[in-house]
Amino acid sequence: MNTLLCVAATRFYLKRPWQLCLAIFGIALGVAVYVGVDLANDSARRAFNVTASLINGSTTHQLVGTANDIPNSLYRDLHLKYGVRFAAPVIEDGVRLASNTRRELTVLGIDPLKETEFRGFSSFIPGSETNLPQLISEPGTALLPESLMSELGLERDDELGLLVGNIEKKIRVIGTVRDISLTAEGATAPIIMDIATAQELFNRTTISRIDLILNDSEAEDLTSLDLPNVLLTDANDRNASFDELARAFQTNLTALSLLALLVGVFLIYATMSFAVVQRRKTFGVLRALGVDRNQLLLVTLSEALIIGAIATLLGVLLGHQLANSLVELVLQTTGDFYFRSNVAPATPSILLYIKGFILGVATTLAAAAAPALDAAHTMPQTAISRAKLERSTRKIADRAALISVPISLAALVLLGFSTKSLYLGFIGLFLVIAASTLLIPTATRVFAKLVEPALERSFGISGSLAARGISASLSRTGVATAALTVAVATVIGIGLMVSSFRISVDEWLSGTLTADIYLSTESENVFSNSRIEELNAIQGVIGTSITRFIRVPTEQGELTIRAQRAGPLGWGLSLIEEFPDAIERMESNEGILVSEPLAFRQGLEPGDKLPLPTKQGKEEFTILGSFKDYNTNGGTILMSLSLYRTYWNDEDINGVGVYLDTNSDRENTISEIRTFLEETPSVRYRSTDFIQEQSLSIFDQTFKITEVLRVLAGLVAFLGLFSALMSIEIEKTREVATLRAMGLDPRQIGILTLSQTSLLGLASGLFAIPLGIIMAILLIYVINVRSFGWSMSLVLSSQPLLFGVLLALTASILAGIYPTVRAIKFNVAPQLRDE
Amino acid sequence: MDVQPNNQQIQLIKVEKAYGKHNVLSNCNVNIKRGEFVVIVGRSGSGKSTLLNLIGGLDKPTLGEINILGYSLHTLNEEKLSNLRRKYFGFVFQFFNLIPTLTALENIRLPMSLNGISKKDSINGAKLLLKELRLSGLENHFPDELSGGEQQRVAIARALSHRPEIILADEPTGNLDLETANEVLDLLNTTCRRRGTTLIMATHSKEVMGLADQIFSIRDSEIKKAST
Repeated sequence: MNTLLCVAATRFYLKRPWQLCLAIFGIALGVAVYVGVDLANDSARRAFNVTASLINGSTTHQLVGTANDIPNSLYRDLHLKYGVRFAAPVIEDGVRLASNTRRELTVLGIDPLKETEFRGFSSFIPGSETNLPQLISEPGTALLPESLMSELGLERDDELGLLVGNIEKKIRVIGTVRDISLTAEGATAPIIMDIATAQELFNRTTISRIDLILNDSEAEDLTSLDLPNVLLTDANDRNASFDELARAFQTNLTALSLLALLVGVFLIYATMSFAVVQRRKTFGVLRALGVDRNQLLLVTLSEALIIGAIATLLGVLLGHQLANSLVELVLQTTGDFYFRSNVAPATPSILLYIKGFILGVATTLAAAAAPALDAAHTMPQTAISRAKLERSTRKIADRAALISVPISLAALVLLGFSTKSLYLGFIGLFLVIAASTLLIPTATRVFAKLVEPALERSFGISGSLAARGISASLSRTGVATAALTVAVATVIGIGLMVSSFRISVDEWLSGTLTADIYLSTESENVFSNSRIEELNAIQGVIGTSITRFIRVPTEQGELTIRAQRAGPLGWGLSLIEEFPDAIERMESNEGILVSEPLAFRQGLEPGDKLPLPTKQGKEEFTILGSFKDYNTNGGTILMSLSLYRTYWNDEDINGVGVYLDTNSDRENTISEIRTFLEETPSVRYRSTDFIQEQSLSIFDQTFKITEVLRVLAGLVAFLGLFSALMSIEIEKTREVATLRAMGLDPRQIGILTLSQTSLLGLASGLFAIPLGIIMAILLIYVINVRSFGWSMSLVLSSQPLLFGVLLALTASILAGIYPTVRAIKFNVAPQLRDE
Repeated sequence: MDVQPNNQQIQLIKVEKAYGKHNVLSNCNVNIKRGEFVVIVGRSGSGKSTLLNLIGGLDKPTLGEINILGYSLHTLNEEKLSNLRRKYFGFVFQFFNLIPTLTALENIRLPMSLNGISKKDSINGAKLLLKELRLSGLENHFPDELSGGEQQRVAIARALSHRPEIILADEPTGNLDLETANEVLDLLNTTCRRRGTTLIMATHSKEVMGLADQIFSIRDSEIKKAST
């Protein structure tokens, strides 16, 4: 490549440092968001995988109870009666630190003598002074992860307070498990104790599961035994439904980050288009001097490559920093899916940084290709003529507007024909964005024409010139407006989706939580019939709903069964399917209802049969309908308590909803209920208001990451608008100088410049409203449904719309200030002389 | 791409050029020999620049044939046309059209650099031209730091730097005061004469006509040879 051409190109950018810096920062931010989310997703995903393998070790299969936990006797029988060689009993449960109730930890109760076969201590290696047999011989002892020991400042033989439900229990630390080798991979080792100590801690006589190491024929043999009340599952399939949710969540984040990158792409396109357009005359001269098309193409693509590489490198570094903040948010949300939050972030793979870099540079080159080809393929004399450029731009814009029609149709076909695929949903969304983008330059021209009379009436010739300038410089203004519209629409679309979702969740909670107080327990046999009767007899209590929650293993992963006897205000269900008698039929034990996400994911329709493991073996239940459910528990099955008791032979209750008389002394009733509960400290008391508040706070926490991405996309949009408008105005220096020479005073020049930038900002903001609403509709009715199976309604709240328009207007006004001051202050004569 | 020996260096045979329905040039026949100073006159918008663009391969005729240095321009693709311009043409424009991000020296070096002349030789060559055109001391000035006359002299130096066969000058004095214009004209004429370079100039200037070997006048899209 010719050195002087490179020198000329370099100096072009160095003479416009602000333009270069804004472009680099904008691209970097777009790349950073993508890389940050990708790294955070990977870190979280690997952290969960490592934690799962740490807990499971060499386990190939697990025996889990179909309703309750497993009795100890089964473990004994496996060895003695059924000849299973490798079996290990496990209690896995959660506790909270008494000193910090927000800190959740996993307890793993194991048989230390079996560990060499299963986890083989390859995952958690006992510290050098740890005496394993002591775990068995001394009750109430445990091994703590080394990191937790140092974090809490504990020494050997110190006591640690743990909260089980609401009850504080003490354990004595007799040693450590090393997690140094694991923290780099992201896992935090669990608290290890002997299974008997764990049973005492959780006040249970059963075990959570039995881990097994089986080959295929052993597994078949065990299955053929048809053991009662247990199910043999593949160790890797247990979390299938949660994995699916977590994957959908991460796909959504990746897509949102790609939207931010898309905004960055527009920025690159806008920057390169400006850089080409600003030098059309230079390119024309160069072509006249004999520089051929390939040389010009090479120069412009090299510029893009260098800018892209610098910006991407910066973006990857920023992304690394961003990932550190995002990973906690991702872990929190995916942790909710898994009911675990003891996972530390993993160090992301270096390949992701390389992938981010390649994607950033490739995107830059792809975005720069069109302007570069434009530069290379213009005839020399055309290149010198600005008027010809604008004429051809108008033609291209009109053609682009026509092309947007088939693209929109393609998007509609894609979205209409694919009802399940999330990826096709996203392709449809991106096609809609592409179609809208192609419409915008022509829409900008029409908009400028429409507002011209009003501007002329308000600001005289300055206003008229401002509007005309937009049409006259469509090669600049069209691209800028399109880029900004997409960016602002993204901000609006995500904002509307989140606010609609929040309103739906709030309404769902209000409808579902029909009782005033909810009591729950993890312990067994707390709510006997007599205790429920006593509760009903309290003055001011008008009734109760009683519920049995269990987790059952199925081929699709673990599902929640909610077996209920409704309270005086009914079930509080919002049915999806149009089967008005579904609840009555469920009450008469004709079948079950399934949650909307479960129905969507597994394609379950009313009338279908769903096989479930019961105490009488696998039984098929008729689906009567589906109900709205925004839980992230992987899927819920609702049935009447009597149906459940028939098949599961389980009389226990672990949830009670208490309904209060609105006319009675509420405070007094609550006080009596609290006194009543003093006998059963393991029962958790929560008011409906508290649950609603907590749920919405979890919702806000979950969408914090979306909010962060929205703000970042907004920032990219702001930078894009700012740099684009500033470029347009600064480029008009000569035109402004001519107007000054013709007698326009500085005030009129100020009005001209500011009204033009504001007009472009306003156009972007206004165009972004319909596009943002369309994006929200697609996010709500396509993406969310396909990701999580959640349906909701679009609520058009004004806040996200106003925010988008204000973002565009503020950026445009700020962008207009510098050129305005410059236009007012500069010396007119040299600007007129200088061609 | 090498020049084929031909006494008729530039030939336009029945050339026509129209933009839409508007005929700019019709039945245009021109023959120019090597080393001649040719002036094209006519009113603004008469088609002078169009004629120069056609000769320089910057534009294509609607009808007719243009032969330059033995090449039929219509047979050359874009790449070959670029090559032809790079090697054998020098351009001087009314508004100078210097590359704003290159210094005076670099602007002059550019055609040499594009033709593969080494950096050292191109710097030496450019410095000689700067001296010849009385621009010494302005080597490192950017175009916006030079006066109009200085910019046009740099543009002339750039046009001459790679020793082209033909220089096309489109109203090179149109943007200069009389004194500077005469100075620039004198420079162009003497340098081209000394080097044997063909100079084709579109101009309004009557002073130039006295120096020309051939004068073509364009009126109502028709080109006529005027007496010198």
